Amino acid sequence: MSTSTLSRPRPETLRKPGSRSRSNVSGWAFATPFLVFFLVFLVWPILYGFYMSLTGKSLTGANDSLIGFANYAEALADGDMWRSLGNTLYFTVISTVPLVLVALVMAALLNVGLPAQWLWRLSYFAPYLLASTVVSLFFTWMYNPQLGLINEFLTGIGLPRVAWLNDPNVAMWAIVIATLWWTVGFNFLLYLAAMQNIPAQHYEAASLDGAGAWRQFFSITLPQLTPTTVMIVLLQILASLKIFDQVYQMTAGGPGGSTRPVVQYIFETGFTGYRLGYSAAISYIFFGLIVVISVMQFVITRRRSA
Amino acid sequence: MATPTLTRPAPSTTTANNPKFRQPRKKLTVGRIAAIVVAAFIAVLWLIPFAWATATAFKTETDAAAPDVTWLPPSGFTSEAFVKVFQDGNIPLWTWNSLYTSAAITAITLVISALVAYALSRIDFRGKKVLMTVIIASIIIPPPVLIIPLFYQMLALNLIDTSWAIILPQVIHPAMVFVLKKFFDQIPRELEEAAVMDGASRLRIFTQIILPLSRPILAAVAIFVFIGAWNNFLWPFIATNDGNLLTLPVGLQTIKSAYGIQYAQNMASALLAALPLIVVFLFFQRQIIKGVATTGLAGT
Amino acid sequence: MKQFESLTGKQLSRRQLLTGSALLGGGLLATGLTGCGGAAQAAAVQDIGFWHLLSGGDGIKMQAMINAANQANPGFKVHPTVLAWGPPYYTKLAMASAGGRPPEVAIMHASRVPGYAPGGLIDPWDLDLLAENGVTASDFAPRIWEKSQHNGKVFSIALDSHPFVMFYNTDVAGKAGVLGSNGQLQEVSSPEEFKAMALEMQKVTKAHGLSFGYLGSGSQMWRLFYTLYKQHGADMVLTPGQPMKVDRDAAIESLEFMASLFDDTIAAQAGDISTGIAEFARGGSGMLFSGVWELPTMKKAGIPVDAATIPTLYGTPASYADSHSFVLPRQLNVNEDKRRDVYKFVTDVLKGSLSWAEAGHIPGYQPVVQSQAYRELTPQIHYANAADIIAYDPEAWFSGSGSDWQTYFAENVQNVLLGRDKASAGWDAFEQRTNTLLSRPNPV
Repeated sequence: MSTSTLSRPRPETLRKPGSRSRSNVSGWAFATPFLVFFLVFLVWPILYGFYMSLTGKSLTGANDSLIGFANYAEALADGDMWRSLGNTLYFTVISTVPLVLVALVMAALLNVGLPAQWLWRLSYFAPYLLASTVVSLFFTWMYNPQLGLINEFLTGIGLPRVAWLNDPNVAMWAIVIATLWWTVGFNFLLYLAAMQNIPAQHYEAASLDGAGAWRQFFSITLPQLTPTTVMIVLLQILASLKIFDQVYQMTAGGPGGSTRPVVQYIFETGFTGYRLGYSAAISYIFFGLIVVISVMQFVITRRRSA
Repeated sequence: MATPTLTRPAPSTTTANNPKFRQPRKKLTVGRIAAIVVAAFIAVLWLIPFAWATATAFKTETDAAAPDVTWLPPSGFTSEAFVKVFQDGNIPLWTWNSLYTSAAITAITLVISALVAYALSRIDFRGKKVLMTVIIASIIIPPPVLIIPLFYQMLALNLIDTSWAIILPQVIHPAMVFVLKKFFDQIPRELEEAAVMDGASRLRIFTQIILPLSRPILAAVAIFVFIGAWNNFLWPFIATNDGNLLTLPVGLQTIKSAYGIQYAQNMASALLAALPLIVVFLFFQRQIIKGVATTGLAGT
Repeated sequence: MKQFESLTGKQLSRRQLLTGSALLGGGLLATGLTGCGGAAQAAAVQDIGFWHLLSGGDGIKMQAMINAANQANPGFKVHPTVLAWGPPYYTKLAMASAGGRPPEVAIMHASRVPGYAPGGLIDPWDLDLLAENGVTASDFAPRIWEKSQHNGKVFSIALDSHPFVMFYNTDVAGKAGVLGSNGQLQEVSSPEEFKAMALEMQKVTKAHGLSFGYLGSGSQMWRLFYTLYKQHGADMVLTPGQPMKVDRDAAIESLEFMASLFDDTIAAQAGDISTGIAEFARGGSGMLFSGVWELPTMKKAGIPVDAATIPTLYGTPASYADSHSFVLPRQLNVNEDKRRDVYKFVTDVLKGSLSWAEAGHIPGYQPVVQSQAYRELTPQIHYANAADIIAYDPEAWFSGSGSDWQTYFAENVQNVLLGRDKASAGWDAFEQRTNTLLSRPNPV
């Protein structure tokens, strides 16, 4: 991309103040506050969580003993866990596509150079500033089967009512729609920033060649956006995999477990069912999945940029 | 991370990069009119949930629950739902809880992240590479997989149902360390050399030269962290049960049971909860948008 | 519990941690935290936290009882927190108790106590202190008092028992000719007689004879099922590490009978709880199987309603029930003054539970039940006998009102009730699910 031509400051220190050992001391001194938190609230929980997954630890303190990999064996045979993992993956797939495409469309529309840019940005981005609970309250109300605005609209144009959050075939889509409304503004901003970084010269040259707006979009804008698109897709996948809030608040995982994501299953086995050890094991299976996906993404990105 | 061009906050040398995202005025063509129509259609769609919530919040409960779904209620608009919500008295408390926990999280995050980022950017110390690798690798750890051990840790520290339980685990943002380090990397070293000659300490250089030059990125990081903390649901929901400590998103989750099916009050509460950040956004739109665009790609 | 004791030794590091981060966060932060975290009130009035899960009409009655207690006791003020019924409430209560800063007192279904008492999440009641406040074991019906025990200690004080009963529309019943000479429903004693009676009522309403909504609600299916099952005189025992002990034939017969009711004549084939209630409330049926807590709704609906325990169809009188009871969540640091206030509060509420009876519940406190005022409450008095035949859930850490176990019941049995699955298949699947739970490590 264009800005890669930026002159970078020279990579390493020209002259190092003080001796090497003094640098060691001050370097670690500057790092210490962060490191303390990092070790206590990130590294330790990660390690301890793994230890917990090898025990029968419970919320009440009973059954503290080490039980080896029994929790993992149980989890791998647990249909509910697989179902919740499946729900998480399903949500990730069906939410990522619209969350990227709609964001791209929004940014492309604005990039045409519409008047009153702040107004569009406000309306597209504002939902992102809301807490999940607010979004869930809004949408639960709009999805209300009898009193909701959406069904009112559907019946108004002669369509049947939909039991948005109570029909196992529809509920996940209802969650996706709410999520799209809520978070698409974030991807939209990233796209918009990237589009406005595309040098105008590219378009000027194309215009002289007689390329229309559509041609320009597909032959210049989209290719220029490829690295951004890759990043947005990757970040979106990772964000979607963490789905919990909206589902817990709007359907509590129902109807009949059809929307329950794996994070909710972790929550329920650990806190509702007391089984912290078992729940930690499921967390690690989920974590493993995320690592695998991240590594896959990393490999794909590397190959693209190479 | 793979696209450093987007996370680079420094003023660009390319002519097209207009910081205000503004484009030169263009003629009204058929294409542009079509674009306006489509953009307006989406904008209306996007505003409907706000509008419907507002309309509901200003209805009487009877009108809100009436089987005739209408924008204009038969008994007119009223603010009684808001009055009831305020009498109940929890929203201001929850807002305050959210405010001071989010402020604390933001403050601690900024301080510890800027310090370590400075070390990674400027100081040549043993183990730096390893530290950098570990911090970057930790970006992929998703917070939800930590809820079980973190809860247990908070139990062990006797911190469950205290504000500390909300704050402490939320101050580690490896991606923000990375963003800050990239910015510090671009500050010309020449600026520090004079100070070094004068024998200024590292800390002095950091606070008097680096930090003032880094205000935009610090603001961006602060905005990003604050919004995240303000809206975080899962961890505060786990860490606190006491009604006096609930943050806004968590407290709001309890109103459905407290009010039963009081649609107008539900919407009034939701709007009141939404208000603070929306107002802040109206005032600091440019900074927030820049902040999100700058830090966004570095990881959420 | 040893886990908690061994951990208190970490106090020092916690303080260091706090100091360190307070320094980092700066003065603003520190003031913010102390300003809000601590209780700023003066010593005079003790604030008592009280959690419950009662909403709707029950919630309003409970609020009135709290207000009355607060007014009568200037020394303390009870602050209620209402959480959503079922898993959200019980999950949070367990987390708060484990954390050690829970509310001073909470409502718990008696059937959930086996999930909380053994793990030390709730504290036992001090019978001497109760007696000081004028409440003793003899003030409770034997079945209810027995239920409050665990390992010889009293862990829950029952405010009520709320059985699953039968409401009926006296108007419809009269026209159908099924009222006895006392103006109450004729006794029936077999499934066939019951169905015949329901069909007579259906001729009057032209819609259904019976209302019972169950779709999506494991609790609702379980309440009727367990009533019928217990009427067989059968037991159900859940012991961790062993398969469940159950009378499979009685279970299957109960399920088959339930399924046979949903033929769109006796009762609607598919409907959820609120549909069933609404149908009965508008006179669309003659009978409703429901918890006693729906009584205020029925009275408000303005239909001529009476109630009775569910007819004994299989020989042994039995009625599924649970009790809203008071429990003491485990405190990290027990404040003895507050505990004392809690005893006063709870005993005050018990003594004033006549208003709770108005909401349909049978008070646990016998002096109220024996009072003239209670005897004059109809139809409450017509099902007050339920207290002697009530059957609580079989005890296990995973059973009880609003538990996941009831959800599993729904998952396996709903298709039986909808006529899509054989009763034996549905039951066997549920039994297997239960056995899986029993085979897993017991977390309490």
